[in-house]
Amino acid sequence: MTSAPRPPLGRSLLRLFTVQGSWNYERLQGIGVGVAEEPLLRDLQAAGNGAAYRAAVARGAHFFNAHPYLCGLAVGAAARAEHEGATPNQVERLRSALCGPLGSLGDRLVWAGWLPVTSGLALIGVALGLGMGAILGFLVVYNVGHVALRWWALRAGWAHGVRVAAWSGPAMALVVGAALPLSTGYLAAGFTGWARGLLFGAAAAGCALLWWGRGRLTGLRYGLALLAVAALAGWVWR
Amino acid sequence: MTLELQAFLLVWGTLVGLDLVSVPQMMIARPIVAGSVAGAILGDLATGLQLGVLFELFQYDVMPMGAVRYPEYGPATVAAVSTAHAAAGTLGLGLGALVGLVTGMLGGMSMSVVRRATARAVQAVAGRLEAGDAHLLVRLHVTAIARDALRAAAVTTAGLGLAQVVRVYFAGTLPLRGVTLLGVAAVAAAIAAATAGTLRVVGRGANLGWFVAGIAGGTVLAWLR
Repeated sequence: MTSAPRPPLGRSLLRLFTVQGSWNYERLQGIGVGVAEEPLLRDLQAAGNGAAYRAAVARGAHFFNAHPYLCGLAVGAAARAEHEGATPNQVERLRSALCGPLGSLGDRLVWAGWLPVTSGLALIGVALGLGMGAILGFLVVYNVGHVALRWWALRAGWAHGVRVAAWSGPAMALVVGAALPLSTGYLAAGFTGWARGLLFGAAAAGCALLWWGRGRLTGLRYGLALLAVAALAGWVWR
Repeated sequence: MTLELQAFLLVWGTLVGLDLVSVPQMMIARPIVAGSVAGAILGDLATGLQLGVLFELFQYDVMPMGAVRYPEYGPATVAAVSTAHAAAGTLGLGLGALVGLVTGMLGGMSMSVVRRATARAVQAVAGRLEAGDAHLLVRLHVTAIARDALRAAAVTTAGLGLAQVVRVYFAGTLPLRGVTLLGVAAVAAAIAAATAGTLRVVGRGANLGWFVAGIAGGTVLAWLR
């Protein structure tokens, strides 16, 4: 077993910020994960075990897909396993086992939790007249959580151990729910009379269509279709 | 709009496009950030915030889980702000949304093209990767990031070009009622997309109650203003 008392976690963390830079349909995040793991494997080479280093680098770049902020957990855990002399099969199984949970955990925690909560608060801030302050606040607050999560994931992967927060669902629902009417009021401020009535009718119809037609109809398609209809109506109704 | 301003928007749009997936995912790609900074670049923060809020609502329809394909609203919002800047207030909303939605669709398609190109590059050197060539691994990664930066620049250029065409040829030709209809359509579609997208994530469980409570609270706040 090779000991690694001071792993270059900082260098690995910096590389993790680019982990999706080489995302592709063949290995998904594999290349980026391999690039982030490589600094943690260098002492294998320094210990004179060049073959183990090259084999570990190659394994690190195999297929991988998880939430980008939590990839550090897999990077740290796989590098640690390589140092502890795990067999190639065990390392591959570890990576495979982490893909699904880290993907779904990160998606729920960040994409469906922290991000809509903070951006919903930014929408509320803009609607209440905070302007650029709301945008800067969003960037700072969101990224404090973002960087902390990346750092925690990498360290936890190296040290083993995961804990999950369960607050994100209700908070997201509450904040985005509050942001919707406030944003509507903010955007619809310039419309009066018939335009407001039409707006609420089209929004309600669109919501129903998008809900029942999910999988086929997207917000982008509905938006383009509605704009096309509006442009046509605008030309006819002069 | 001067060439310098267009160049600043292009640089900003490229950074925004790069942030979405590649580097560093710090959410400058969120429309509310991309739009407000684009507005500040043009000296028209109000339009930037307005289009930023509009496309942020469209963004709630997108959940980038797994390897799904989705529209790219960051550079799209920059192009939308560039379009709407010419027409003050709500007059620019509809035209901005039109340019932004088309650019968002282009952005989504371009990501797919770049990912296929990166897959081909990986396949071409698969043997050397399996031999553990760390230098090649890093070079492949950096090249892929550069490829994504080029993609983001191309999408932003297309969006700004489309914005220029719309500003020059369409902005003054629509009657006021037509412009209002376009604005109404844009806002209605954004609200519908955000509500349906959030409902899909919230589901029918306990969080639905929190969502309804949020809407009630937000409605009261909006009414009190």
